[in-house]
Amino acid sequence: MTMPMLTVENLMASYGVVRALHGISLEMNEGELVALLGANGAGKSTTLKSITGVLRPVKGTVTFLGEEITNRKPENIVKRGISLVPEGREIFGQLTVEENLRLGAFSSYQRDRYKADLKEIFELFPILEERFGQPGGLLSGGEQQMLAIARAMMAHPKLLMLDEPSLGLSPAMTDNIFVLIKRLQEMGSTILLVEQNAERALGIVDRAYLLANGEVEFAGSAEDLKRKVDIASVYFGGDDEASCEVPL
Amino acid sequence: MNLTSRLAAFSRQHSTLPILMIPLVLVGLGLSMFGSSLLVNVYTYFCVSLIMVLGLQMFMGNAGILNWVHIGFVGIGAYASGILSTAPLVKGMGVPNMYPALVELSMPVIPAILLGGVIAALVAAVIGYPLMRLSDFVGVITLFATLIVIHVVMTQWDNVTNGPRTFFGVQEFTTLTVALIAALIVMVVAYWFRESALGLRLRASRDDRYAAMAVGIDVVRVRYYGFVSSALIAGMAGGLWGHFITSFSPKAFYISEMFILLSMIVIGGSGSISGAVTGTALVTVAREAFRQLEGTINNAHVLSFEVYGLTEAVMAIAMVTILIWRPGGVVGGQELRWPLLKRAKRSETKEVEDGV
Amino acid sequence: MIDLEFLINTLSLGSLYALLALGLVLVYGILKLVNFAYGEYIMIAGYGLYFSATVLQLPWWATMLFGVAAAVLTSYLTELAAFRPVRTKSANALIVTSFAVSIFLQNAVLILVSPRARAVQLPPIFSKTVNIAGATTPVRNLLIIGTTIVVLVLMSLLMKKTVLGIAMRAAAEKFTTTRLMGVPANLVISAAFIISGLLAGIASIFWIGRSSSVDPITGAAPLLIAFIATVMGGMHSPTGAVVGGFVYGLLFNILSITLPASMISYRDAFMFVIVVLFLLFRPEGIIKGGYTEERVG
Repeated sequence: MTMPMLTVENLMASYGVVRALHGISLEMNEGELVALLGANGAGKSTTLKSITGVLRPVKGTVTFLGEEITNRKPENIVKRGISLVPEGREIFGQLTVEENLRLGAFSSYQRDRYKADLKEIFELFPILEERFGQPGGLLSGGEQQMLAIARAMMAHPKLLMLDEPSLGLSPAMTDNIFVLIKRLQEMGSTILLVEQNAERALGIVDRAYLLANGEVEFAGSAEDLKRKVDIASVYFGGDDEASCEVPL
Repeated sequence: MNLTSRLAAFSRQHSTLPILMIPLVLVGLGLSMFGSSLLVNVYTYFCVSLIMVLGLQMFMGNAGILNWVHIGFVGIGAYASGILSTAPLVKGMGVPNMYPALVELSMPVIPAILLGGVIAALVAAVIGYPLMRLSDFVGVITLFATLIVIHVVMTQWDNVTNGPRTFFGVQEFTTLTVALIAALIVMVVAYWFRESALGLRLRASRDDRYAAMAVGIDVVRVRYYGFVSSALIAGMAGGLWGHFITSFSPKAFYISEMFILLSMIVIGGSGSISGAVTGTALVTVAREAFRQLEGTINNAHVLSFEVYGLTEAVMAIAMVTILIWRPGGVVGGQELRWPLLKRAKRSETKEVEDGV
Repeated sequence: MIDLEFLINTLSLGSLYALLALGLVLVYGILKLVNFAYGEYIMIAGYGLYFSATVLQLPWWATMLFGVAAAVLTSYLTELAAFRPVRTKSANALIVTSFAVSIFLQNAVLILVSPRARAVQLPPIFSKTVNIAGATTPVRNLLIIGTTIVVLVLMSLLMKKTVLGIAMRAAAEKFTTTRLMGVPANLVISAAFIISGLLAGIASIFWIGRSSSVDPITGAAPLLIAFIATVMGGMHSPTGAVVGGFVYGLLFNILSITLPASMISYRDAFMFVIVVLFLLFRPEGIIKGGYTEERVG
């Protein structure tokens, strides 16, 4: 058995005095599409932030391609091949679509490859070619999400992480995004997907981790998860009174 | 709950003031009995500075807004009290262009100092409301510009201030005892202010402006009240300072003096009264030491030139060092409380939030 | 009635102020730092001119390079030594640091050089005047207008056409996300300080050119102008800063003409009052820009 691509061991993180992760462990192999599921506040985004170096974990290690990357700066982690499509898309609204993409290619810029990559991106996302010269802020939510994914792909990541890509999108657009994610996997990408929309995510992923209160509550294949765990109970917190968040 | 545990809880809660005040009183008593006149002067100066810093803490520490105008209010208080209390004859000689109505004013020193504070607070009340609406960086720059406007007025309005020239002949009044008593009173006021409903709201607005608004705090209004209260203390501190130093010019209420006040509050920690007191003490001692050193170097003529600015340069380095290692200041944002050693642990996790 | 002399005067003053404001706003955009040490870069550039021209007697082009290099180096060193370690602390910590850096540099010059002003020899062309269509104007006024046009064009090329420029604009908008693109935080911040120093250095040549002397507090006045011009024009974009610089220059010249002689000493006070009043109605300044208030974490 080969070594996993990404290993997260016993990760603990906190915001001030509030502990958000109580020791998360997970693994990803090359070519896999894995989902990280859980309710609001379960620690999904915190896990991604810790992996990308935006947040410094209190304890635990992150190993990527045999190298420990815990506590490295975000820019160095990107260079090593992990790209994040952040929650809320985080498009540079003042920059044009072109400039957004150009920045995505920052860590590995080569003129010829950049041109070739653009062509590929336009095949995947024809709308971006149309909007090439427009400021990112003028794009619709779905277009911005595509731009965010395209921007991350420009870095040729070995591991692509998506934080809630369906958030705030119309059902039709959500369908598009999920089809696209599956396609990216088929094209050879390794993808870690954070989603609130568990039903949809489980439809496309190979494996999934279920987080609750900063811990991994369940891990297994998508089928296992669908069968064994009552997804709704995770989101509704077991008893009905606590429910305030309805999955999209 | 039995009596001893209740007593312990009470002393934990309210032990800050005694912890700060007892040493101040003891040193004051010791110096007034045995100290040289130089030391007495330094300590008096320390007490007056402490009042200024406590006034600064009331607004800047609680609201988290860098208040450049503070030293301007000190100046307004000093001039007001000086003009109100100085004998007409002395004023007529000292400030040849003064408006006749001002020349004729004459009142005892204590009401003059109090009135000086009120005048500073009135100025703050007039200019404050618009200023408090501006947040963040526009706010910082606007307050800075306001200090410059006050300075321009002080240096140009020679019918009141004698212009850029020295205003002299102010009665000597602020002895060590006066300054110490005033400092103790202001300390109680500042402590009470910090713990009051207004102080709490101000601190909430500092920690998270939008969350504070969301729970119904009128941020602009609480800032405004804080600003005016702080100016009141600054004005009175200015009066006390004027009656200590007896002659001054607008230079004394400008950027380099503000730097000293800022270094005091930043080094000690602006989030707490304990920080303000500690910082004022540390900076006063360090400044005196360096001033002596500068004097010794210059008098010994070992160098071919006179050394100026050494004190300021060293204070600047100290300030940046403190900001790097302990951004909340030496004391941090928590008040000193009775078991003194216990708090060291707590302040470590708080540090980041308290900031300056 | 606008005559040519007034126009050239205003344009040259506005150009100088625009350069000053632009240098300040570049650092503000990325670090959200109101840099009180900015005036000191101008002051140090002045001493660079003094040493190279008056002491070392270098040719004029070498003195200019020397002066600008001094400002760039000071700006970069202050970033390394003071601003970088404090960067992640509170906003007030950053401002107080810049104030301390400013005081330190002033006093360092006081100790190392002298509290007294030093005369700076600038090339004779700075003090010549020319006659254009009946208007007499110092040549340096035309030089500053020309220089500013060149600098603004180059700056806009840098910001629009180079990756570094794009990254700097991105960092001013969303700092953390920019790092997630693989852009090193220190790269964009250092670049901002270096360009800021460069602009301060260029502006310093013309600032010093008006008085031909430099002293430890030379930086105070241009710092203030940069402050006021930026808040007036808008702290949130380089364009705002440039517009603010020109508007400030215009306002200054109008006040100089219209204020009675007895009130001229209050001119600065009037300027600030006008600006503060203006900000009350439009706190974001003339130009609304894209910089957000996100702090560098």
